[in-house]
Amino acid sequence: MDIDDILREVDPTFHTIPQEKRDLQELTRAWTAERSAPELLPWPTSGLFERINDSIKHQIEKVEEMTGDMDPKTNFALIVIQTELERYRYLVRSYLRARIAKIDRHTLHYLSTDDLRARLSEMELAYATRHQALLHNHYLSSFLSSFPAGLQNLNDAAGGISMIETPDLDAAVFIRLLKDTFVTARGVDEDDAANMRESDIIILRWSDAKPLVEAGSAELV
Amino acid sequence: MALPLPPGLTHPEVAFLAEMELVTVVPRQRLEPIDLLGGKTPPLRPPHRTDLPLWLALLLKKQRRANILPPPWLHPASLADIIHRETKVTPEAFSEPPPAPARADVSQPGRARRQGVDQEGDDGGIIMSAPFRPACTADAPAGYLPYHWQEVAEALLAHAGDDVTAGTAGATVSSAGEVRGLIRDLVEVRAAKMRSSTAQLEGFGAGLMSLRGVGAMELAESRGFVLGVVDGVRRIGASVEGARREAEEEREGEESDEDMGI
Repeated sequence: MDIDDILREVDPTFHTIPQEKRDLQELTRAWTAERSAPELLPWPTSGLFERINDSIKHQIEKVEEMTGDMDPKTNFALIVIQTELERYRYLVRSYLRARIAKIDRHTLHYLSTDDLRARLSEMELAYATRHQALLHNHYLSSFLSSFPAGLQNLNDAAGGISMIETPDLDAAVFIRLLKDTFVTARGVDEDDAANMRESDIIILRWSDAKPLVEAGSAELV
Repeated sequence: MALPLPPGLTHPEVAFLAEMELVTVVPRQRLEPIDLLGGKTPPLRPPHRTDLPLWLALLLKKQRRANILPPPWLHPASLADIIHRETKVTPEAFSEPPPAPARADVSQPGRARRQGVDQEGDDGGIIMSAPFRPACTADAPAGYLPYHWQEVAEALLAHAGDDVTAGTAGATVSSAGEVRGLIRDLVEVRAAKMRSSTAQLEGFGAGLMSLRGVGAMELAESRGFVLGVVDGVRRIGASVEGARREAEEEREGEESDEDMGI
């Protein structure tokens, strides 16, 4: 702790939330959103995961150093550090696994256009491309090769119907408003629009909720 | 590798989130700051109160290094008041969620400033939400149930029952059994509301439904059912909706034609 930290603690005019707290809030929000949204959300471009992975790596190194110490006082600190480390790792792991599950389900859809490909991280893109190629090769060698050449593609759009399955963007989701916002939503019998208040929890279609979530005025719960 | 769970947070995941709620502890031992990923922990100096995440507070409690101050809303009087409001005052809706925390603004005396909103950040600011809002600390307002109320109450009763009994700010003698009974009543009252809200869903014609004040566990419990009904209604009514939209578009088209004519 240097003098800046001490000054910050006693200065009541200092409102900025520390970076670590913001990262944790963002990580938790990204995880909750990814777990609840029917489609794959864009990979955060703010460098959030790079930062978190770096700090996890540092923390693991520190744990390795501290394990040599058998002083009972550092021992308790070690337990706390390891508990927290496991919590972070769980969040990151669960987030990545939820994304892989979505990529696996609709691989061709997420690889079909540049906009959709941009949602994947570099690693995910490499995984999706190679996995899809392996899968297609496997299909070709096991049964597709005996089909006529015109029927061997997996992404035919002949007859006006695309073979590629897409996620259901109209699936209902729960969101919580972070600001007072004007919300419009489409329904079966009528469309609805209302001024909603902060911390309202609303059920609506993901396609209606998406602009609110992207603008940061709501979050998925 | 891929996560086999369906969309939406499950109960254990909600409980995991609830463990990040801040609670107030009274340390019984000194503890130097620990450098954690989420920032340094504040130094613990008995008997100064400190706010810590619930998971850490429970760890300290288990090792008898600290006592947990139960949040004011967990006091029997506050719970009874909430039950009264849930049953008598607003029997249709859930009771209000806690107001956004605010503090006096030192740079502009006399003005309140909302806490947990950071507009000065380099990426346009961030708004903190549950579980990172201080809704379960000793400073939280009584009479409001926070988003993670059920999980926090359960955890505190299970692992820090003696602290809950010791009474909150009012320091009246109460037993953990009383609190437990009130919590159970509250769960039942609200579960009945959740169930009756599905009657609204049946005719879910409009696209918007608000469940203000609902808790995380209650959502997790009925998420599958509620979302299933909403999606089912949408699928059944898809053709009706499509026809209505076409008719509306035509009408709009005609109107703009008329405008052109004028």
